[in-house]
Amino acid sequence: MQIFKKTPNVDFLKFKWLALALTIVLVLAGILNITLGHGLKMGVDFGEGTLIRVMFKEPVSVSAIRQQLSDVGLGNSVIQESGKSGREFQIRTVEVRTTSQASEEIESHQILANKVIAALQSKEDQQRLAQGLVDLNNIDSRSLTSLLMTISPDNAEQIAERLMSYRKTQSIISDWNELKKEPVSLSDDVLNQLQAKTFLGQTTVLSKETVGPQAGKELRKKATQAIIWSLVAMLVYIAFRFKGVEFGAAAIFTLAQDVLICLSIYSFTNREINLPIIAAFLTIVGYSVNDTIVIFDRVRELRKTMRKEPLEKIMNMSLNINLTRTIITAGTVFIAVLALFLFGGKVINDFAFIMLVGTIEGVYSTVFMSCPVVLWWNQLFGKQKKVKK
Amino acid sequence: MKKNLRWKIGLTLVVIALCIFLVYPPKDKIKLGLDLKGGTHLLMQVITEDAINVETDQQIARFEDVFKKNNITYTKVTKEKPGQFYFEGTSVDQEGKIRDQIDQYTRDWDYTFTGDRVNFKLKPAAEQFLREQAVLQTLETIRNRVDQFGVAEPVIQQQGSDRIVVELPGIDDPERVKNLIKVTAILEFKLVKAGPAPDEETLIQQIGGKVPEDGEIVKGEARRGVQGYYLVSRVASITGKDLRSVRRGLDEWNNPAVSFTLTPDGARRFEQVTGQNVGKQLAIILDGKLQSAPVINSRISDSGIIQGRFTPEEADDLVVILKAGALPAGIRYLEERTVGPSLGSDSVRQGLLSGLVAIFGVMIFMIFYYHLTGLNAVLALLLNTLLTFGALSYFKATLTLPGIAGIILSIGMAVDANILIFERIKEELALGKNAGSAISTGFSRAFSAIFDSNLTTIISGVFLFQFGTGPIKGYAVTLICGLVANLFTAVFVSRLIFDLTASSNAKKLSI
Repeated sequence: MQIFKKTPNVDFLKFKWLALALTIVLVLAGILNITLGHGLKMGVDFGEGTLIRVMFKEPVSVSAIRQQLSDVGLGNSVIQESGKSGREFQIRTVEVRTTSQASEEIESHQILANKVIAALQSKEDQQRLAQGLVDLNNIDSRSLTSLLMTISPDNAEQIAERLMSYRKTQSIISDWNELKKEPVSLSDDVLNQLQAKTFLGQTTVLSKETVGPQAGKELRKKATQAIIWSLVAMLVYIAFRFKGVEFGAAAIFTLAQDVLICLSIYSFTNREINLPIIAAFLTIVGYSVNDTIVIFDRVRELRKTMRKEPLEKIMNMSLNINLTRTIITAGTVFIAVLALFLFGGKVINDFAFIMLVGTIEGVYSTVFMSCPVVLWWNQLFGKQKKVKK
Repeated sequence: MKKNLRWKIGLTLVVIALCIFLVYPPKDKIKLGLDLKGGTHLLMQVITEDAINVETDQQIARFEDVFKKNNITYTKVTKEKPGQFYFEGTSVDQEGKIRDQIDQYTRDWDYTFTGDRVNFKLKPAAEQFLREQAVLQTLETIRNRVDQFGVAEPVIQQQGSDRIVVELPGIDDPERVKNLIKVTAILEFKLVKAGPAPDEETLIQQIGGKVPEDGEIVKGEARRGVQGYYLVSRVASITGKDLRSVRRGLDEWNNPAVSFTLTPDGARRFEQVTGQNVGKQLAIILDGKLQSAPVINSRISDSGIIQGRFTPEEADDLVVILKAGALPAGIRYLEERTVGPSLGSDSVRQGLLSGLVAIFGVMIFMIFYYHLTGLNAVLALLLNTLLTFGALSYFKATLTLPGIAGIILSIGMAVDANILIFERIKEELALGKNAGSAISTGFSRAFSAIFDSNLTTIISGVFLFQFGTGPIKGYAVTLICGLVANLFTAVFVSRLIFDLTASSNAKKLSI
């Protein structure tokens, strides 16, 4: 099977100025959006504050949550629905500026986060807590075991374990009847006694991440350092293997373009930059450099046999010969990432999204931008003769 | 069968067997990161300044003592900052004597004489040593506390010069553990001299307008039902260091309490103090807060009880921290991430599902596009995944969410390697070559592209691993493992499969 019956013969380099213009437009749009417009949302990893993921027993609306938070003066928190059930939400507390030295610590953030969690509890739940009842949807396993000790001392540990692992699969228990059935199978007696001491709270906290200002700064610094060094290493290796700085420079240029364009597109979405997103960007860069190297490898090979031909023609040939491979490779990656995007769940969704964008963008940058940069570099620094041996 | 094929088959089988051994059963062999498993990650900073401060205070007390013993006169001691203090009013003619004494007692402090002052400054090397020790001791104490509390497979590591990372998998009550780790846990028993008074001013008035030299004011711990302020002796009768054993017990009203026994040395001092002060109150102070102040009824020698309206959990936690000992320096939390077990298992389930869909999707496409040859790619892909996990298990690396990204990149590049080779073979076939020579030229021509692209990415991975932290490191590890596996499967195993299946003079190849 073949995509192209014959090796295609497209003059890709003819589009170099158009491609450059498109790149500049995309990058500029991103820069404008990041500096003046919508801005780039820094996740909790690189900013500071707390990110809380909560799940409700019943579907609720964002505006209802905002109302609840407004009542305690935290209405400006960022609230996002995640998943499709209408029961899961991400809440990001907004930075607190404390004048005291305590801003070094994460404590002020945590107090805020706990306030958010408390505010999400319904009035009924708060009353029950005040009566000394325990929330079965938020109790920890040790406390549950010691509670069950007072009800059914013989098999308290087994019951606690069954209950906890059931809650783990469900995230939140919505109905007492669930506990009578498999796999928890509580006896009526135990259930009745449990009901007298506990209640099923309306919300549960799925995760809570707090990063203080100092740690955020360090994560930012370390990530930047790691990325810069790895890029420099790539540049050196490519320049060495392809016997010319222009190839290394072109690879780095395409790579910078990949990052900038993806960042630009990302800035127009509502998604946040966090550590997994950095990994996604590195992956995009990895693929794109890989693509570029494959093309350069063909250029290197063809130049040995076609010494008389101008570099531009050789580049066009290389791009055309490799076109099938470029499309198929990008296609398979696209399939894989699409699966992540559709089935990967909420935590991985942002990651998969930018990968989808990056895969397409990577093909564009390889086909239309990598080779022209080599030519431009040679024109600018006049090394065309020397490299051509 | 050709001879060189035989050892190639052998090598491949050995590698496969080794990896299966390393990976099976995956539940035990592949460690999942906290983002996938659920648990608490804490990053904290040790306030090493505290250790310098303590050392400075001790040194001042020591020299005051030494000077007194040797009849060296001075008017005043002033602590300028941690690691720096001076004695004032020492007359110039005592200089020689002072030098002798200092040289005899310490080598860690630099000293200079200016007029009637002796200036002490902690030497940089000694300061460095103290800071390092503080971090190491803190690490050790935290490890003890976490072990006593009972957490399966905790990770407690130093990071950088003064950071400590604690990872506690499967913890569902992070607040409790956090508090347990953070308390300094300095336990002191001191005699009560006056109090309680509702506030500090009233107390100072009661004792005559001035806090005496040998006393200090402490606040009652409201949570323990102790209100107001007390004046207690400055020097502790016994401290946490004198404890021999601690366990949870009950007080006379059957409320949870903590009972303790003392070391022989501690018991001797305790006996003396309680014997001389029957009828007075003894303050039990934890981290500067008065927990309870029972009246000494009679002479007590080697055991006692700490009470104060504890819940059973609080009593348990107090036992843990007293057993593990006090922290040599304070800590402050910089970062905390808690992933609930249900979110973690959700992530694993969905990650697994999407990973499988991704791999199967790619496989079906490869077979659809390259027919039988595609099957070769599928085998290489499966093997690549197996090898990657084998390597992860061998290096005891943890699989995190960014780690999965690394695997995706390496799998993508594995498929790409096959595509490069197959396309090259197609080119050669189009030129009219027979299958055998098309395969061997295809492989040798595609090799440089595969090698360069994989090696470039490996190099970048190595740098990410070297300079990155946590998640970035996790990404780099899986990426490097995957790419090394890739070089083996794409170049070596794929070729072997071709050699085994395609007869070398066939005109056609199912590609």
